[in-house]
Parts: sequence; structure tokens; C-alpha cells
Amino acid sequence: VTERVDLREFLGGFVAEAEELLVTANSTLLEIDGANATGQTRPRALKDLFRALHTMKGLAGMVGVEAIVEIAHALENLVRAAEQRGGKLQKPGIEVALGAIRAIGDRVRAVANREAVPPPPVELLAAIAAIDVGSGQLEAPPAISAKWDDRLAADEKRHVGGALERGAGVYTLTFTPSTDKQERGLTIASARARLGERGDVVKVVPRSVGRAVVFDVLVISDAPQSELAALVETDAIERLQRAEPPAADPDALRDDGSESSVSPFGRALVRVELSRLDELQEQLSQLLISKFRLEREVAQLQANGFDVRRLREIVQAQSRQLRDLRRAILRVRLIKITEVLEPLSLLIRSLARPNQREAQLVLDTGDAELDKAVADRLLPAIVHLVRNAVDHAIETPEQRIAAVKARTGTIRVSAGEIAGNQLALVIADDGRGIDRDAVAKRAGHSVDSDAALLEAIVVPGFSTRDVATRTSGRGVGMDVVKKIIVDQLGGQIELHTARGVGTRFTLRVPVTIAIVDVFSFVCGPQTFVVPVSVIDEIFELEPSQREHLSEIALMQRRGRAMPLVALGSLLAVDAGTSSRNALVVRRGDEPIAFAVDRMLGRQEVVVRPIDDPLARAPGVAGATDLGDGKPTLVLDLVELGARMSLRKPAVRA
Amino acid sequence: VTTSLHVGFRVGPTDYAVPATDVLHLDTYDAATPVPGAPPYVAGLMQTRGKLVPVVDLRARFGLAPIERTIDSRVVVVKVGARVAGLLVDSAREVIQIDDASCEQPPDVFRTHTNEFVKAIATVTKRLVLLVDVPRIIGEEHSDG
Repeated sequence: VTERVDLREFLGGFVAEAEELLVTANSTLLEIDGANATGQTRPRALKDLFRALHTMKGLAGMVGVEAIVEIAHALENLVRAAEQRGGKLQKPGIEVALGAIRAIGDRVRAVANREAVPPPPVELLAAIAAIDVGSGQLEAPPAISAKWDDRLAADEKRHVGGALERGAGVYTLTFTPSTDKQERGLTIASARARLGERGDVVKVVPRSVGRAVVFDVLVISDAPQSELAALVETDAIERLQRAEPPAADPDALRDDGSESSVSPFGRALVRVELSRLDELQEQLSQLLISKFRLEREVAQLQANGFDVRRLREIVQAQSRQLRDLRRAILRVRLIKITEVLEPLSLLIRSLARPNQREAQLVLDTGDAELDKAVADRLLPAIVHLVRNAVDHAIETPEQRIAAVKARTGTIRVSAGEIAGNQLALVIADDGRGIDRDAVAKRAGHSVDSDAALLEAIVVPGFSTRDVATRTSGRGVGMDVVKKIIVDQLGGQIELHTARGVGTRFTLRVPVTIAIVDVFSFVCGPQTFVVPVSVIDEIFELEPSQREHLSEIALMQRRGRAMPLVALGSLLAVDAGTSSRNALVVRRGDEPIAFAVDRMLGRQEVVVRPIDDPLARAPGVAGATDLGDGKPTLVLDLVELGARMSLRKPAVRA
Repeated sequence: VTTSLHVGFRVGPTDYAVPATDVLHLDTYDAATPVPGAPPYVAGLMQTRGKLVPVVDLRARFGLAPIERTIDSRVVVVKVGARVAGLLVDSAREVIQIDDASCEQPPDVFRTHTNEFVKAIATVTKRLVLLVDVPRIIGEEHSDG
């Protein structure tokens, strides 16, 4: 039930930006053409052209117009190649480039007119690819050190070469694992993570020494050598010096356009599908479960009088390693909030014009990071608040001037990490402030405090407007913001508003949340969910199996006897005899089927732990909100199955 | 004369009160999600102001027969230390001033009879109001964090 951002909202802003970029691209091409005629080169113009195309590509990607992305990408490659091979683009190249700019222009107009965007012309892409940009060779990567030259790819060499050139610290060190270090939680993985916190780990290569394995690590870091050595407990560390005078043109075009948020180590980035990270987390939780089992067994051994000190030390070391691993995985999921908020600048442009408002957006989110899953859920709420600010808060330029304010209104989105796992995001405008009286009138009671005001405006359907404006009134109100921030993310909203001065919303959200893929089903009067990962199989019950459903029965499934548990009677919810489906989970090696009334579907939900002992029960793993604002229980069927087998058989008449 | 603000509510025929400082807010009651395996007096979980809180059904806790919930039913959301819980009551209308001097220890027989959920008895405009022991009601003595 996640609110999706409607991309159409950004299209107006996209068209405006794209048109400006097309003008830049055209004029730089004409400049290069003119310079060619008089035998001059224009490296600056080529760089400008590259940047315009790169930005175009990024914007088009943001609004999902793939055809423009493809053309801009092809042309960008051509321009980069031309620059690297001597900075020249000859007549045929310029002709093709102008054609490509025209093709992009056609597509931008299609976007503006809400028409279907035609795919990129195949001939054009072929023509771009066919352009020979000259005989100059792509410059060879620099040599780094004898130890590493054979182990690094060309782009890694360029990356390290660039760091050496800048005078950054480049270190080669050898990490030697040992049981002793391992028990203290220091393994190659944690060593890598520790170094990664203090710099950029370029490469880790295992090497055998006798029967042991050691790891050679190449790291770029500004930290002192001694600190790096101490971090991973090694003496074998050496700072690399520049091997030879660099041949690299420091001003060469790199795909690190300052407008994008690509890291300075652009090439060291790897894109990973979120689902794979989820998989990793899933595996990790399995690992945690087996750790708990191990701990229980150790406790049992101890109770039986065995000496378990060594065992206990190892288990403790393992706990620390698991914690490190968990942290490392969570960190991988974090993305810079700036990245998420980028589309807002387009939004402001597309909103301000039709409203005759002048508004600027200031993004002041620094390096704050957020789980991708949180960010995706958060964006619609922020979009709504920003849209509201432009629509309702920022006055017309005339009103602003009359109120002795800057003509252009400012909407500032800033972020700051606050305690632990929480991030505060502030969306502030310098507009007219919320009209308390109007809200009070509409709500039917007084709203003296900011908290009361907030309570009043998050009521579904609340609006002080009689006529929906063009940009607002699309059906999302403050209630949606509340639903996202409070109900889905478990965060908080605060409001401060002052007449004539402005309004400030503070959203406190968790940096990370647990997103779980679940099946939902009905059992008796209640809906439950269960993680997809624990379900082996779902099947439909035969009428005969339905009839003979008792608390626990045996059934044949694929030639094996399998216990069939009526979940309704197990949970003592009134299920009757209407069970249609069965869910199979595996406890150890044994499958157990649970009969449920009917399956509802599959979805991704945010699972929240149940903190209070009063509502904690075995087999209940947490709660989630399926969108109705009420908690739905997340069941742990494996645990319920385990309890089943502990119970004494019920005596029946 | 020291008086303190209390939130008054009604369960069955009796008036009860909790100190206003322990109350976060009042909420209307619209079905909690039952938690199988939870104590019988826990009506379930509800979501209030972004928090998942257990709801204790005071009728069940005080040993009264269940009734159909009405539009008067309220949840008094209380905070005890780090814990937040809801108390489901028949109605809750007023904030009352209780004169500390009017508070008396409940008679022993009564205290045992009410399972020690009542820690004091106050008189407010000639009505008896029972001050409840919230930590005891939400089973604080059993919880070890």
C-alpha cells in the first residue's frame, strides 16, 4: 500500500530543464563547428557539451524517458571519446550530433505534449557509433606498483593513479587472519569494513602462504598509516609512491558530473538489486537463529556439568561478528538522502509556473543517509509537503513584496541525524503560515497549539480550500503524510507555524526498517501474515480433509505423512470448518501443514516488533499495518509448529 | 490543600481515576487486534499515534462480565516508565481534581477482593472514586524487561 510518486508531476520541470540543455548543446556544437573552420579547437565547448548531455541523461532517467536516455548516452560516449582522443569533433561527427540533439528535442516535445515518446531511431544510434573520432589512442593506465600491476583492472589503475597524483595516501597492506583475531571479531570481512570506514578499499586479493591464506589489501585513505595498521592489526603496511610522472590529463572528462551524486570513485561503484540485499538479510537472520540454537545447546551442556568456557568464547566472538555483519549489510542499504530528493527541484519548477508563484528549493541534507526502503516510502510524503508549500504557503510575488519579503519564496529541506536509528527531516517554507482560524472553523473546534493544529489537518478529507488548485487536490492530503510517516514508518510529525513567517514540518523517521515479503491470509475473524521465506508450499485442501479437520490430524502429501494443524483452533480464534488452504512450513526436517480459511495475497510490509510484554506471545513475531491503520499480526509458524509438538495430545471424548 | 489532576473513568458501576501525569491521551475504541496467547484480559493491540500498544480490558481485569462496546468506550493511554499501554474503559469523560487529603487506604478486605488493583479511595463531591494501581494492572511486577 505504498504511495507511489506520480512521475507526471515532474514532467513540467523536466521539459523546462531539457529545453535549456538543448539550447546549450546546440550552441556548443555550433561553436565547435565554427572553430573547426578556422583550424582551432574548443576543448571547453566539448566539456560543456558533455555536461549538458550527461545532465540530460540523468534528468530523463529520473522521469523514466528511456529513449532520451539512450540517445544522450550514445552521444555522450562519442563526445567523451572525441575529447580523450585529442579534443576534436569533425564535421561528420558534428552533423550526427546535431541530428541526435534534434531527435532528443522531438522526444522532449512529445513529453511536453503528453504524447507517446518514440524509441530512439536505430539509424541514428548506428551513425553515432560509426563516427571515427580520430587516430589518437586511449591513454594507457598508469603503473602502480610491481605488486599490484597484474592484479588491477585498467580502471582500477586509473583510479589509484589518480589518487597518487592527488597526493592521497595509497597503502598496500597484508592482513593475516588467525583464530585469535577471529575470536576478537577481526576477520577479513570486518578488516575490510573497518578500512572501508576510513577510506576506499580498492582491492582485496587472497594469497596463500604455505598452508595459510593471507590477504593483500590496497586502500586509499587519508588516515595515518599507523592508524590503518592498528585497525587491522598488521605490521605489513607500506605507502605507495607515484611510480612515474602521470600522463593523465587531470582535466579529462570523467563521468563524475558535479550535478549528479556519483561518488568521486565513480568506477568503484556497483549497482545491486535491492532484492539481493534482502536475500542477504534473510540469510543473516537464519544465521542468527542458528546462533541462538547454538547458545541454547551450550547452556544445556553447561547445565550437564561440561566445561564450556572455550565454546562460550567462540560463541561470543561469533555474536560480535554477526553484529558487525548485520551493521555492514544495513550500511550497504543506505543511500544518500540528497539522491532521493533530487527530483524535488524539478517538482518546484513544474509547480511554481502555473501557480504564478516564485519558489526556490534549498536542499540542505548533507551526507545524511537513509535505508532505500525508507527513502522510497518517504518521498511521496515529502513531495506532498513541498507541493503544499508551493500551492498554499508561498504568496504571490506581489503579496511577498508588500509583506517586505524576498520576491521568491524559499522551501528548505534539511536533514540531521538525531539519536540512534532516527533521522529528522525538516521541510520549512517562508510563506504565509497556516491560518489557524480557518482550520479551527473547518475542524469545528479551536486549535490553539501547533500540536492541535497538526491533529486537525491530518484528519482524512481535511481541506480549507473550497476549490482544489491545479496542482493540489489530487486526492492526497495531510492524512497520507501521516499515514506514511506515522503508521507505515513508525515515525513522528511535528509542526511549527507562524502567521506571515512560515511553516516548518519536522519528520522523524527510522533510518532503517525491516521490510518483509509476506503472504496474508484469513483465519477466523482475523487476518494474519507470515513471511514468504518460511513457506515451503501452499496447497488447496480436499473437501475430505476439510471435513475431518481437528486441532491436529495426519494427511498424505506426496506419499508422506504430514501433520495438518488447524491454525484457527491452535490460535483459539473461531475458524469454523471453512478452511480452504494449507501452508506448509518446515521444522528441521519435518514439514507441518497449517490449515487456514483462505489466502489473500502477497506483499511487502514493514514489520514492527511488539515491545510490550503484555502483547508478546509465542508464535507472534511482530505486527504490521496492511493499510487499514490497524495492527495485523505477523506469525511465526515454525515456532507455533514447535510448540505444537511439545503439547500433550488432547484427550478427546 | 494540595490537589492533583486525575483522569476519571467508569468501569461497570464504579468510578475510577488515574493521575493525569500518567496519561498520554484518550482515544476512541474501535476493535483492537486480538493476540492469541496473550493474557485473557488483554483485548489486543492497537495503533495509536504511531505506537503499537497493548490494550488491557479493565472489565476483564476487574472480573466483570464482558459487554458490547459502545460509542462511549474509551482507551486511556497511560505511560508507566518506558511502557505505554491502553486501558479499555466503559467511558471516560472528565478530568477531576482530587484532594490528596481525601485519599484513604482501602480497607483490607476490599483490597484483597479487588486483587490490590485499587491503591486508594478518594472522595470527590461526595462520590467515591477509586485510584487504580496502573503498574499492577499492566502486570509490571511480572515484567523483567
